[in-house]
Amino acid sequence: MNAVTRYFTNIRDAVATTLTGMKITLRYWVKEPAITVEYPDRLGAGKTADDIVSDRYRGFLKMEAGKCIGCMQCMRACPINCIRVTVEKAREARMLTRFGVNQAKCMHCGLCVEACPSEALVFTRRFEGASRDLRDLCFEHIAAPVPVARLRAGKGP
Amino acid sequence: MYSAANTVYGILHASLAAVGIPEAVITLVAYAIPCGVVIAIIGPIAGMLTYAERKISADIQNRVGPNRVGPFGLLQFPADGIKLLLKEDIIPDAADKKLFKLAPYLVFTSTVLASLVIPFGGSFIVADLNIGLIFIIVVSSLLVVGFLMSGWASNNKWALLGGIRSAAQIISYEIPTALSLLTVVLIAGTFSMQEIVMAQGPWPWQWFLFHNPFTFVAFFIFFVSSLAEMNRTPFDFPEAESELVSGYNVEYSGMRFALFFAAEFANIFITASLATAVFLGGGNIGMDPYASGLGYQLLMVLIFFTKAILLCLVTIWVRWTLPRLRIDQMLSLCWKYFIPIAFVCLVMTAVWMLAFGGNGFFWRMPTI
Ligand code: SF4
Ligand code: SF4
Repeated sequence: MNAVTRYFTNIRDAVATTLTGMKITLRYWVKEPAITVEYPDRLGAGKTADDIVSDRYRGFLKMEAGKCIGCMQCMRACPINCIRVTVEKAREARMLTRFGVNQAKCMHCGLCVEACPSEALVFTRRFEGASRDLRDLCFEHIAAPVPVARLRAGKGP
Repeated sequence: MYSAANTVYGILHASLAAVGIPEAVITLVAYAIPCGVVIAIIGPIAGMLTYAERKISADIQNRVGPNRVGPFGLLQFPADGIKLLLKEDIIPDAADKKLFKLAPYLVFTSTVLASLVIPFGGSFIVADLNIGLIFIIVVSSLLVVGFLMSGWASNNKWALLGGIRSAAQIISYEIPTALSLLTVVLIAGTFSMQEIVMAQGPWPWQWFLFHNPFTFVAFFIFFVSSLAEMNRTPFDFPEAESELVSGYNVEYSGMRFALFFAAEFANIFITASLATAVFLGGGNIGMDPYASGLGYQLLMVLIFFTKAILLCLVTIWVRWTLPRLRIDQMLSLCWKYFIPIAFVCLVMTAVWMLAFGGNGFFWRMPTI
């Protein structure tokens, strides 16, 4: 390509590429809606903060007392010891007397959830943990002793 | 030659000279009033443009943009202005204090001066100078003095680089801007802004934009080189956030920064008005702007502002489309492309005028 041709090709290219770009931005300008989530106060009708995160989000831990078999696997699995489970035997029944999670220390690694054989311990989507006092984040999941669930052989929970 | 200052002077003189107020005071006031009105109009427009810029950029990038202050965030710019007023005014120790303080006013002054000869439609023009177009080109070059001054006075390497870049850029782009405006002067045969507007008509085919193919090209050269002159992306080298932090105004804070900012956005509007008046028929609705009634004059103003604001939106749209060029590309664009093409347009327009006796493509010379 000689210099003269290149000169005019440059002009044509400059005009053409600018127009292409402007067309794209025009489309975004008039058509595409905003995808911003206006957290926290304009989430849309009926939506809470929990709804804006994905289903497999690792939020706060939740323990379902009716499912826990008191095996303490979660406590052992936790690398930073933020779960405390105590199980006591009263006559024949084993009772879960304490299930505490220190959510302030938890790093949401999920090892405890993986370890749990009965799917009693799961993540919720709750993530708003800002607090003035660390003790607010130490959750006791059972208020009074409950009998542990029985793991039925052969069947998953 | 019409001048709002003269009119105001006439009114003031009639009523005040009898009371014994000296001539000099009346003259000063007669000039101060129209200027004050123009600043009062330009200020809010610049503010609304900052809002439009943020809103449009947000739309283009699928964001929301300002939406908290007032309905749809419309009151964002007064809030920003108040915030800037309350900010601490910092002057660096090593700065050249006098120049540092003077620079923002110089930049703002050049913007306001340019607005004095813009015909806002009807008889709304502060002074219809017979050298109006030259006046605008001259005072908009004053801008570069302010930029250079602020860059130098800040005693900061980024500011200095920004100032020097703006000097290189604005001075080179002055030439294609002026040349492309000259094509219209060739056709209209006058430098007076109001007469240029009056030489056109209300309909698109009566505008100088469509007078002949060369004015059409000249309009785009004017538009792009004025983008460069007001430091807008893709030519925002003096500011270049990613390279120079913020360029010449990096050391400024508070109200001085706000002045720079307001001048920048006011400049967008001024340039859009200039393009509107010179190429797009201004507020012309086919009537004599001085003789028609107030209702028609306001209609002219409305038409003028519609065109100018639309052009402002295009400016913003371009900014959020194109990335910044390289500095060598910017200079070669100017010297290798715009200046030769602008010259060709100028010469060919002259040839066209000779060949077709001043008639345009769809356009006939008004028979006087
Ligand atoms: S998620 Fe990890 S850190 Fe948190 S409690 Fe479970 S094992 Fe411990
Ligand atoms: S929560 Fe799961 S792992 Fe932890 S003690 Fe209960 S059953 Fe065992």
